[in-house]
Amino acid sequence: MIFLYSKEVEKILLKVQKPGRYTGGEINSVIKDKDKVDLRFAFCFPDTYEIGMSHLGMKILYSQFNSYEHIWCERVFAPWTDMEELMRERNIPLYALESGDPLTEFDFIGFTLQYELSYTNVLNMLSLAGIPLLSKDRTELKNIVVAGGTCVSNPEPLADFIDIFFIGEGEEVDIEVMELYRKCRDKGCTKKEFLRLAAQIKGVYVPALYDVEYNEDGTICRFQPTEGAPARVEKRLIMDMDNVYYPDSFVVPLVEIVHDRAIEEIFRGCIRGCRFCQAGFLNRPVREKSKETILSQCKTLCENTGYDEISLSSLSSSDYSDIVGLLTCLSEWSDDEGVSLSLPSLRVDGFTDDIMSRIKTVRKSGLTFAPEAGTQRLRDAINKNVREDELLKTCHVAFSGGWTNVKLYFMIGLPTETYEDVEGIAKLGQAVVNEFYRCENRAKGRGVNVTVSASSFVPKPHTPFQWEAQNSIETIEKKQKHLKESITTKKITFNYHAAYTSFLEGVFARGDRKLCKVLSKAIERGFHFDGWNDCFDFEAWMDVFKECGIDPKFYASRKREFDEILPWDFLDYGVSKDFLKKECEKAYNSETTPNCREKCSGCGAACYKGGVCVEKR
Amino acid sequence: MLKNVRIWFTKEFECKYISHLDLNRCMLRAVRRAELPIWYTEGFNPHPFVTFPLPISLGISAKRECMDIRIVDDDFEISQIPELMNPLLPRGIQVFDATTPKTDAKFITFAEYEATISVDGMTATELRESVSALCELECVTIKKKSKKGMKDVDVLPYIKAMDFDKSDSENCRLSVILPAGNTKNVALPLVFKAIENHINKEINYDIVKLNMYTEGMEEFE
Ligand code: SF4
Repeated sequence: MIFLYSKEVEKILLKVQKPGRYTGGEINSVIKDKDKVDLRFAFCFPDTYEIGMSHLGMKILYSQFNSYEHIWCERVFAPWTDMEELMRERNIPLYALESGDPLTEFDFIGFTLQYELSYTNVLNMLSLAGIPLLSKDRTELKNIVVAGGTCVSNPEPLADFIDIFFIGEGEEVDIEVMELYRKCRDKGCTKKEFLRLAAQIKGVYVPALYDVEYNEDGTICRFQPTEGAPARVEKRLIMDMDNVYYPDSFVVPLVEIVHDRAIEEIFRGCIRGCRFCQAGFLNRPVREKSKETILSQCKTLCENTGYDEISLSSLSSSDYSDIVGLLTCLSEWSDDEGVSLSLPSLRVDGFTDDIMSRIKTVRKSGLTFAPEAGTQRLRDAINKNVREDELLKTCHVAFSGGWTNVKLYFMIGLPTETYEDVEGIAKLGQAVVNEFYRCENRAKGRGVNVTVSASSFVPKPHTPFQWEAQNSIETIEKKQKHLKESITTKKITFNYHAAYTSFLEGVFARGDRKLCKVLSKAIERGFHFDGWNDCFDFEAWMDVFKECGIDPKFYASRKREFDEILPWDFLDYGVSKDFLKKECEKAYNSETTPNCREKCSGCGAACYKGGVCVEKR
Repeated sequence: MLKNVRIWFTKEFECKYISHLDLNRCMLRAVRRAELPIWYTEGFNPHPFVTFPLPISLGISAKRECMDIRIVDDDFEISQIPELMNPLLPRGIQVFDATTPKTDAKFITFAEYEATISVDGMTATELRESVSALCELECVTIKKKSKKGMKDVDVLPYIKAMDFDKSDSENCRLSVILPAGNTKNVALPLVFKAIENHINKEINYDIVKLNMYTEGMEEFE
């Protein structure tokens, strides 16, 4: 079979931008005989092809699912607005790229939730597929809608729509649930029976099996499991990173995507414990792959994909326990093969000229640092262990080596932030500029270019700041303006994000089930691609909230008490609530917490009995 | 010694929807992975030397496309190129030959196409008749972007050149030879667009570029 998408699709492909993203047929995409498989999984990424195809989690699970002979996993992306319009006009249902079959033909429809502003895309994709949005309206044992990824750490805003959430890492639990489904189907179970059994699997959350009662003020008074579902849902995680499945090839896209290169994951988790960082808490503890595994996986991937660039992925690459040893052994291979290494997420401290020169991203785009806050006081409060003198020292080394571009990432709206902290951002930028002119070996005849980017802070579940009030849109805009005025040199380019999108992100990040009806209404209104400026309409969103009688500020702008029942409290990511409270109190006193390698702070994740928690210190 | 090699390939199925830039990337990757002893340009940023004599537009399938490379190894047997490259290419792009170029790209003057066209709600015979009816007109013009702004092009001669012999009552199929190359180039979709404007209906088309010819209608080799 060669022509997989339908004749109807063929007719519209020439009418849309970049049709290559709707056709499939890429190298290494997996084609199976649909009569010979007995479970079909549609892996949906709720954003464009270019973005979804760059996502590592999707690549891992796509290959892993397909490594089972009886499972056929296919890819689905959100069609861009021009394509959607034509599909709706001509009643073409959303289809998967490998077979061209509509989503209604799949046993599982799985979404990965990476950012809150993609929720409308999730629902819009179901709607485009002609699948009922509400879980209760899908009564048969088919088209089971499941979701995993970072945002399931608070699944409640999507509780009415999703049948099953996978909490934590998916490699094992996803397969266990699929096996259960096959058994239930063979036995002729109903969907209800299947869901009840699935809820018994560790790492599975079936929202339909829980009742929520609210207090008059809108906060939660009871969160009650029914039908034997567990009161706490524990996350799943992989402890043995050397033996867990890792793809030996990636689908190589025919059209250009955001990150068109091989990716090797070197560890999961982060030792740092920055208090704003959700990923850092969700993925505890740190678990590393060995150098040998990394090298051999890098080789295999490049061989099977033809990529000549590989990026090492983790939350903070320079924290790999033997980063110098790793880079030394990798660069021996990569120099030979003409493969370039890139290492995103580097930290300022602890890396030398020698490391920098081996890394392509550094060579190409200049230095990137994320001090996150402008003053040492606030950096201590958020536990971001970056020191100004170290940052300037690293810049000095880089400037001597001929670099002239530095990018600095900050957040505004962090808890305890004052206007002095905001000015501190401008001052730090200026200090980097000054460092350049102080550097005697700087590139002569060229100026320095410092980019200061400020995003707005959004408090996230399962972090020490989960109780905090998010700065209002007005406050953020005032701070942005203040920062802009504090920057006096033309050597600094200032970028910032619209405060509106962060506000909505904050609402859904810490929302509860009452937001389901807001999302339903948003879909009726045709909202989609809220993460894209061309589609996001804040006023229209506020109208929807008003119509539903819901005040979005209740979720974003309200400071919560420590004893309030939070919508996501029943999820157990291994980090105790007590630890989070202590961290929050330490933040108020600008007290830092050592990283996991310096000293264990007893966060709770030692219960998994592995990773950094059992390393010798 | 540097040896010029012309690699012949198809561009079909989903691969007709990729742009020239994407095709170029895909080919370069395959050439590199196949470890062909290819010549790299010299200078600050060496890259493999690859050119496409007549790049094809997005949306058109091709049975006989080509790309030129230079090989640095005299002993390299160019006949192995298809089997070396094909496993590294998507199913829609397959190399079927590698030859020593005989014709300079600048002599390409014509391209031969075959197309199947349809209009929703119209039979093949009706569509054929309404296209034939246009041949009675004095001209069939369409606006085309050029370097000097919009200008009118008369596509009637090309409509007249269309041969519908392969059509039947199910399919409206046509063959046509159009100017192609650096000096004069007529895109078949543009001709269809002009027809659409006249019959006031949207045409679905599937175009296959079959071959390229010189001014004297000799096959481009
Ligand atoms: S238990 Fe200790 S070592 Fe383990 S993740 Fe928590 S703080 Fe780090």
